[in-house]
Amino acid sequence: MKNPYYPIETLVEDIITETPTIKTFCLTPARPIKFKAGQFMQLTVPGWGEAPFTPSSDPGVAEKMEITILRTGKVTDALHALKPGAEVGLRGPFGKGYPMDKLEGKEVLVVGGGVGLAPLRSLIYALLENPKKYKRVSIKYGSRMPEELCFRRQYDAWAKVAPNVDFTNTIDVPASGWTGHVGLVTTLLDKLDIDIENSVAVSCGPEIMLKFVTLKLLEVGYKPPQIYLSMNRKMSCGMGKCGRCNVGHYYLCVDGPDMCYDKIKNVPNVFG
Amino acid sequence: MHFIDSTNFERFLKKLSSGGELFVPVRNEETKKLHLERIELFPLPDNTSIDGYRTVEPLKAFAQLLRYPVADYPSTEGDEFPDEKAFPRVVVVGARGCDLIALGLIDKVQVEGEFTDPFYKVRREKMLILGADCTECGESCFCNLLGQKPWPERGCDLSLAKVQGGYLVDALTDRGEKLVAESRELFAEPGDQRIKARDESRARVVKELEAKNKSYPKADTLPEIMRSALTNEVWDEISARCVECGACTNICPTCYCFLLYDQRADGSHFQRIFSWDSCQVTGYARMAGMLNPRPRLTDRVKHRFYHKYDYLPLSHGAIYCTGCGRCIDTCSASIDMRESFRKVKEKVGGAKKA
Repeated sequence: MKNPYYPIETLVEDIITETPTIKTFCLTPARPIKFKAGQFMQLTVPGWGEAPFTPSSDPGVAEKMEITILRTGKVTDALHALKPGAEVGLRGPFGKGYPMDKLEGKEVLVVGGGVGLAPLRSLIYALLENPKKYKRVSIKYGSRMPEELCFRRQYDAWAKVAPNVDFTNTIDVPASGWTGHVGLVTTLLDKLDIDIENSVAVSCGPEIMLKFVTLKLLEVGYKPPQIYLSMNRKMSCGMGKCGRCNVGHYYLCVDGPDMCYDKIKNVPNVFG
Repeated sequence: MHFIDSTNFERFLKKLSSGGELFVPVRNEETKKLHLERIELFPLPDNTSIDGYRTVEPLKAFAQLLRYPVADYPSTEGDEFPDEKAFPRVVVVGARGCDLIALGLIDKVQVEGEFTDPFYKVRREKMLILGADCTECGESCFCNLLGQKPWPERGCDLSLAKVQGGYLVDALTDRGEKLVAESRELFAEPGDQRIKARDESRARVVKELEAKNKSYPKADTLPEIMRSALTNEVWDEISARCVECGACTNICPTCYCFLLYDQRADGSHFQRIFSWDSCQVTGYARMAGMLNPRPRLTDRVKHRFYHKYDYLPLSHGAIYCTGCGRCIDTCSASIDMRESFRKVKEKVGGAKKA
């Protein structure tokens, strides 16, 4: 019998500074960890405890894993203080992952905000591995300032993968030297060149952004079953047993963390 | 059905608990309440009492300990689960119908499904439970509202009913029948008189329960009432007196929620600790960055009711309350679950009419 609470020893091989507050940790676990895009890991910083993160790396690779993390609390402060060569721990993967089967043949709209592009990057790897399986992959990404855009080095490559793939980004407020789109990520959804009836939207970002993205998607014609949101709740066990990550009667750790909006739309204060 | 006299009963317990730990209900002479106490030497204490109603302690405490280490890391054994021999065999005597059902409900969460908590599973498998009839109805008992009986119907191998001179022993499982067969010399025929006495006692307790709870709503109507009370301000009224101590969730026989936290064991070794937790306290669901899906006390009090009477029926197929009434006894603000449901029913009913 295995002990599911034990963190698998994992080496921090490299640390990439994405933005002043976001770093990508390149990890090598003691044994390969197979995961699906959207499934999450419990990452241990020895002595500090665990926090849940969805890998940002290619789900086709099990030997190595990248996790992109915003510095925002106790465990993430400790993480950001680590240097390459440090030992951390991993448990998982947990959760269902993105509904890949429901995306096939569809016009897939990916909407990310801030560090929310991290789990979506894993989805983008999965989608772009075989773009022909999807009618269209349209990625919209927003951050507050130019220096807060994650994975900038990859945008051009994504947009060039196939003719049915496009990538657009925006920043919230004007900045000197910025010639691109300015406005909240929802402004990229105003004039969507997408066959909405045949589309599925997947979004990840801060709760306040998820709320307004959802409202905008509904406004432009999406129906609740066509919207998938990466929800955030406190998690401890990852296995549907500790009882804290519920949204209504769902436990995000086993039923999510990406939830179809149709399932949770009636939960009071669903966006906190 | 079998009969065992009091002297042989002690011999039976001695045999059953040999090499393990034995817990029996002992009455506190001041409070008159029953507590599960560990027995290390026979004879049993004079105030051992397998009658009355449920003990103060819930059964979950034996399978899901209050706090214990679940991992030492890094370790050369890695994620191999420790030898089962490290866990004691535990015999618990006198568990009531409500508590037996409650433990079965926690089993659904901790053992069934995609993942199993091996610590819970092993402790649970090493438990031998002797159930017992309730011979009286406690002030806060309301198992009848949940459609349950004040005697064990499932969840234990053997069930006891106190009668003149000893106990009637009912084997509810093959394992129970085998335990009796292995000590056949200690048992006698039950006799019609004793069975009649037990049945009369059962009928009397059922009557007491019904009389005590006649003004409260039956539980099977509750999930529906709850769903139409989602945004009702009745929850502000119910939670107004709560002092956020978490006693209700700790003492509840079906509350299973827990927290994992890490601490340094020595220089380069760390320990992961499993600990009961309470959804009633502020920090329970609070995330990094101080985001909290239930920031108000009302949200948290309401969450407790919804988790038990709406969410878990949807996700695990059962109401996670067995009417034991411990939360009522323990609440320093005198919040009574039955009373709360009556309020909700009145308010929702009133809203519908208007």
